[in-house]
Amino acid sequence: MEKLQFSFPAGPPAQGRVLAGVVGSGDLEVLVEPGQPGQTRVAVNTSVDGCAWLWQAVLERTFTDPGAAALAVEINDFGATPGVVGMRIHQALSELNLAGKA
Amino acid sequence: MDTSQLLKTVSFIEMGARERAFALLDPGSGHELIGPFERMKSPWLEPQGIAAQADDGVVVAKGSIGGQPAVVLAIEGSFQGGSLGEVGGAKIAGSLELAAEDNRRGVPTRAVLLLETGGVRLQEANLGLAAIAEIHAAIADLRRHQPVVAVVAGTVGCFGGMSVAAALCSYLVVTREARVGLNGPQVIEQEAGIEEYDSRDRPFIWSLSGGEQRFRTGLADRYVEDDAAGIAATVRELFAQGVPAQHRDQRIGEFLDLLARVDTARQPDGAYARAAFGKGN
Amino acid sequence: MNTLEQPRVWDRRRSEKKRRVALVDGLADGKVIPTGSIVAALESLIGCGDRVVMEGNNQKQADFLSRSLAKVDPQRVNNLHMIMPSVGRSEHLDLFERGIARKLDFSFSGPQSLRISQLLEDGQLEIGAIHTYIELYARLFVDLSPHVALVAGYKADRKGNLFTGPSTEDTPALVEAAAFHDGIVIAQVNELVEDESELPRVDIPGSWVDFIVVADRPFFIEPLFTRDPRLIKPVHVLMAMMAIRGIYERHQVQSLNHGLGFNTAAIELLLPTYGERLGLKGRICRHWALNPHPTLIPAIESGWVESVHCFGGELGMEEYIRARPDVFFTGRDGSLRSNRAFCQLAGQYAVDMFIGSTLQVDGDGHSSTVTRGRLAGFGGAPNMGHDPHGRRHPTPAWLDLLQTDSPLERGKKLVVQMVETWQAGGKPTFVETLDAVQVAKDTGMPLAPVMIYGDDVTHVLTEEGIAYLYKAGSLEERRAVLAAVAGVTPVGLKADPSATARFRERGLVAFPEDLGVERSEATRSLLAAKSVADLVTWSGGLYNPPARFRSW
Repeated sequence: MEKLQFSFPAGPPAQGRVLAGVVGSGDLEVLVEPGQPGQTRVAVNTSVDGCAWLWQAVLERTFTDPGAAALAVEINDFGATPGVVGMRIHQALSELNLAGKA
Repeated sequence: MDTSQLLKTVSFIEMGARERAFALLDPGSGHELIGPFERMKSPWLEPQGIAAQADDGVVVAKGSIGGQPAVVLAIEGSFQGGSLGEVGGAKIAGSLELAAEDNRRGVPTRAVLLLETGGVRLQEANLGLAAIAEIHAAIADLRRHQPVVAVVAGTVGCFGGMSVAAALCSYLVVTREARVGLNGPQVIEQEAGIEEYDSRDRPFIWSLSGGEQRFRTGLADRYVEDDAAGIAATVRELFAQGVPAQHRDQRIGEFLDLLARVDTARQPDGAYARAAFGKGN
Repeated sequence: MNTLEQPRVWDRRRSEKKRRVALVDGLADGKVIPTGSIVAALESLIGCGDRVVMEGNNQKQADFLSRSLAKVDPQRVNNLHMIMPSVGRSEHLDLFERGIARKLDFSFSGPQSLRISQLLEDGQLEIGAIHTYIELYARLFVDLSPHVALVAGYKADRKGNLFTGPSTEDTPALVEAAAFHDGIVIAQVNELVEDESELPRVDIPGSWVDFIVVADRPFFIEPLFTRDPRLIKPVHVLMAMMAIRGIYERHQVQSLNHGLGFNTAAIELLLPTYGERLGLKGRICRHWALNPHPTLIPAIESGWVESVHCFGGELGMEEYIRARPDVFFTGRDGSLRSNRAFCQLAGQYAVDMFIGSTLQVDGDGHSSTVTRGRLAGFGGAPNMGHDPHGRRHPTPAWLDLLQTDSPLERGKKLVVQMVETWQAGGKPTFVETLDAVQVAKDTGMPLAPVMIYGDDVTHVLTEEGIAYLYKAGSLEERRAVLAAVAGVTPVGLKADPSATARFRERGLVAFPEDLGVERSEATRSLLAAKSVADLVTWSGGLYNPPARFRSW
């Protein structure tokens, strides 16, 4: 089990919070809350060791816009593939957007 | 169910715990207590290399059902098989205790338990056991004031100490895909031997502990389609019936009589169990 | 003329067959070998060094005959050259360990892939070659003509007329090669009847069959093509939506084969919902070369499917098929008639598209399921997954892949690899070099065991998007287009974002949003059936799932 931290440049804090997913086998949950201005922080708790570089690569491709709302993201992962990770993060972020809060 | 019904119904089984809980509450009436953002995680899982879910696999949704104050406790079967640990167990026991308190103050809060669980979370051992014991006591207390309704829908089913909790409830609602039993199939096979109980034989497992069998042997009260709206309506209907004159465990004399007449020399099957317990069902 | 020369003998095979058949005269009652005498009969009917065809495929296995063959005395019968479509059972490899067999030509090995590797390493087994199914059958008529064919059926009469029913599979092809070149055909059956009138129908005429034996138990058969809808994940739904929008709709795919997998099961279950919403019924997916997938039931019931021809049967689908003779190929008795050789031919020449999954893909689009220590073989995929240059008839989809106006250009069959960028267990799908390359070196194969070659692949579809490889102008451009959808794998990390952006503009790469596919819509609620129970409901109760798929 590993606990990883990542951060990416961002704009003003988001509003509202959202949860997507469950910590089932091959799955993950994503909790998204408003972050500190200027930075999106992602904390990953994963049952799979040795994949820090993979999380970096996946998250880098997701949080590409330095003007996007700043988020505090927590991920609890039980061995999801990058494809599933991408989908859950997208699910969370689009729910936040739909609520007009990001 | 036929195809046109299938396309119209919304599957309850497909829903996660949170969605199920809010599906049973009156629309817009519900809010979550000790939700995931409060980070009441299990302190025991991560040291054992297991990723912990932020709500510890239990959702507490407070709102109203049929206009009356209610709390729905929903176990997330996809997280660690719905097993109960210290935190999740406390969320359930504590909610039931608060509901009983409410009643003593004149507020008619009733409770629904959505059980997708293998029972005690082995990684938390005695804490899970203790929590389940508290849940049993809290159900026994609350049910004196209000019906306590349990729903087991599948795919996990309800096993272990939580099957005892289901049995203590005022009413038990099951679907065809549900299973309710004390020991899981693999454990029974290990103890009794594969000739007696083959845990790979799925129809056999359901023939003894499936929803339909439990209904026909008098151990479940309602046997329903996998339809969210229908299940919500059934729950409302059961609350309207009020506290039963006798709970199942209070009818112990009846059940002991039935058990005494079981022919232990023969290998029981579903049909025999229905004949022995079902009063002709 | 040299008077000391012997005149050439032209009927050696026929004489030898006659000699062997005479040896079992006392044993057999006409064509019927008693169950208990099968080992003795095999010892007389099979000669050392014979080429022996052993029937066993994805679903049906002539397991009584394979178990019996493994019991012959290696002193009397040895050095056999086994020809097997599928090496699925442990006794198949016991033959090599016991010295009964020496050489193996096969197509698929699946569960025995590890043991084959080990026997090869220990020098107890020699591999002729690994083939695709139809290729193996073809060689039976060229350089691998069998001396003996061991097959399985449900019932036979005393004249040897065989009923193979829904599980006809490979039997006609295997029997033909032996029956018409003086080979000996031995069939195991579940039941012997006295007269032809007691057979539901005749699948193999008695004059093609030399001997019948009633097996000790019904032949082994497995439901391999049943996928439980409960196991379909949202990422499969996303890829299925992209496939329907970006490939099926775009190219007007009328006829197709689906390889096995949850991805393709998701496509089948999305036709009545997502496909319906797009107004595609009657315009795509009308004719199928496919095993009777239970997940196709909702599409059939909703009126999408005009015909399905099957490689084999599928346990539990018998009554459903019986009730849908306009769609399936059935005999006079009403049950399915499957035929792997013809279905593979259909999948080669007569369909617009093959779509399937794989374990590894390299930067050029070559794919393989062969990994370290496991010789899995190919099955039908190389046949389905190639562009047949012999094809001449045009269809809208075949013509849609033309790149020029030249009248001398060929159309193309769509060959689609649909795969997540990463497999479970942290293994990337897209790799620099296939494991298969090293396996070839380790086992002394002249070429790497590639399942589908990159130059046959027209599209690669991942959860990131679709790479329209057929549109690429050069090898370089192909590699770049593939990398654009390869996510964060070693291959994908080499993709240049600005190049990817240009590919999207030019239509060589499409991300979900480019196809109008909303990622947040990709949920299980889009599936027409979400469980095996739902499939039963769709079939009006005709589908009878095997026990392992029941939750009731």
